[in-house]
Amino acid sequence: MTEADVVVLNESGLHVRTCGVFVQVASRFKAEVFVRHGDVEVNGKSILGLIGLAAESGAVLRLRADGADETDAVTALQELVESRFGGMN
Amino acid sequence: MTGIGASPGIGVGPVMVVVAEELSVREFPILPARVDAEVAFFENALACSRRDLKQIRNGIAAELGESEAAIYDAHLLMLDDPELRRAVHSGIRDQFRNAGVVFRDHMSGVAAKLARVEDEYLRERRADVLDVERRVLRYLVGGGQRGMSGLTEPSIVVAHEIGPSDVAMFERDRVLGVVLETGGRTSHAAIVARGRGIPAVVGVKGATQAARTGDLAVVDGSRGEVDFRPDEATRAKVEVRRGRLAEADRVLRELRTLPAETLDGHRVELGINIELPGEAAIALEVGADSIGLFRTEFFYLGRAELPSEEEQYVAYRAVAEQLAPRPVIFRTMDLGGDKVASYLGTTHETNPFLGYRGIRFALQHPEVFRAQLRAIYRASAHGRVRIMFPMISDLDELRRASALCEDVVAELRRAGVSHDPKVEIGIMVETPSAVWVSDFLARQSAFFSIGTNDLIQYTLAMDRDNERLAHLYQPLHPAVLRSIRHAADAAHARGRWVGVCGEMASDPRTAVLLLGLGADELSVTAYELPRVKAAIRGVTHAQARTLAEQALLLPSAETVEELIHRTLDPVLPANVLHNQNPS
Repeated sequence: MTEADVVVLNESGLHVRTCGVFVQVASRFKAEVFVRHGDVEVNGKSILGLIGLAAESGAVLRLRADGADETDAVTALQELVESRFGGMN
Repeated sequence: MTGIGASPGIGVGPVMVVVAEELSVREFPILPARVDAEVAFFENALACSRRDLKQIRNGIAAELGESEAAIYDAHLLMLDDPELRRAVHSGIRDQFRNAGVVFRDHMSGVAAKLARVEDEYLRERRADVLDVERRVLRYLVGGGQRGMSGLTEPSIVVAHEIGPSDVAMFERDRVLGVVLETGGRTSHAAIVARGRGIPAVVGVKGATQAARTGDLAVVDGSRGEVDFRPDEATRAKVEVRRGRLAEADRVLRELRTLPAETLDGHRVELGINIELPGEAAIALEVGADSIGLFRTEFFYLGRAELPSEEEQYVAYRAVAEQLAPRPVIFRTMDLGGDKVASYLGTTHETNPFLGYRGIRFALQHPEVFRAQLRAIYRASAHGRVRIMFPMISDLDELRRASALCEDVVAELRRAGVSHDPKVEIGIMVETPSAVWVSDFLARQSAFFSIGTNDLIQYTLAMDRDNERLAHLYQPLHPAVLRSIRHAADAAHARGRWVGVCGEMASDPRTAVLLLGLGADELSVTAYELPRVKAAIRGVTHAQARTLAEQALLLPSAETVEELIHRTLDPVLPANVLHNQNPS
């Protein structure tokens, strides 16, 4: 299992389009991906789960992956979030 | 009532209050023998919704570009959500509940988590979830897809909020104006309304209470005002204002087919700046001579992986073909700075505008850069293509970028792929260093395009995103004017032409000054093109040159501004000086 914390930098938080890109990237990996915000943890390949986290700008997310390519998955997702999802608002 | 003007223009017509349709879901048990059929029924509803959404998505992508279509990609992902499908399948198979109820419960559960109404960001997310919920429920309990089909006559649509899928149904002929209680200027509804030329005012609290279906309403998207049941006097005033707007518009529109030529016959190439391939059509609509700046970053941003050469080629070709025989300047990727693409390994920088961006970035990613150049060269077989590199600060960078172009041309020739081997290659002049080595740069480039936005911030050492420095952003600062003149002279000394593609060119008065400073081409915001053209047609080249000579002798931006007003205001036509808001 690989874990990492990451901060949401986008001004409007984890909005619908960012969740969509997150799911697209997460789904490229075989590993199961989970995202925790506060007490709630959801499937990182479920866009509705991610949207339901209601994560705002500045929220800390814990990424967790389990499976053969778990390290790559966590690294890629961490970079994605840190880059503000490629420069979205 | 007032709100936020989200799309300019005035719409007058009968109101249609659109309320979210009631899709009441009845609960009933599913017989064990029927569970497979119920699961199939649910999957079919998803499949139909997916088909509808894809159609909308592709329509929006073609009209407004890929980045506006991204919201529909997210909606499509909701239909494929693994947890959603697991929950609905299990609700049907294990609890024998019907698909409509289980589906609605799951979606409502997500929406409930976003119910803190005071937060606009969360409200928007909730609206998207509910939009997808309604879309699928229509197939589970209702009669399938719906849209703005409830409009029997052209109307002013008044609603609390409108989901992305309803917005896509807006048709210019049927929707005369839009009033929403929610949303901002950058909301999806606002963007689509602007794209289709429908006047819109958003953020009007209490609009659905105040409006009654069938009443006459006036929507003024330029001022952000809405009037339900206007009295006679107001209606008369609106008609006058509408008439004036239409008249000003007509006069400027008549310029469409006329050249951007001074009174003494000096011709200027007047183009527009675009960001999305879908905007190419606007160039023809406003009568532009060219696209003087096609920013190509959109391909790289807001997505998870690199665009393929093929994908870029298809889009570039479409733009080149539409404009032909008019030229299109493709500015190669200007990533970094305020635009980052995570998968290219850009990282946070403390000073991104002085950092890893523009050509610096491109030369470090030759494979990515080469794919873009190949796409542009392939498109060059289908129109008149020019290439321009951003952020050049010395001759070495220009040489290396040009060498890549030569490689690409040789490669395409060997492979027998059609292309134009004589594509003009130029540079953006936007750094002070480029200004001061412009004599060297002019040897190797076919043209300069002066990017004033960055040139101003680099020359004046002021961050244009810093609000406390806003007063220092002075396009007319003597240092800026001297830089422009210096670069223009260096280009002309080598027989090269000079363009300006920053915001400075979009102001009609400043455009005249730029002409006097030596600009042969101006690339402006499409919306301002008619006024800039009218300004050019209102002066002689000699007047513009005299104005520039005088301006170069003045010590401050304020005095230059005064000079410009004193010189041009008596000469230029009224519809150029007073812009879109005659009252």
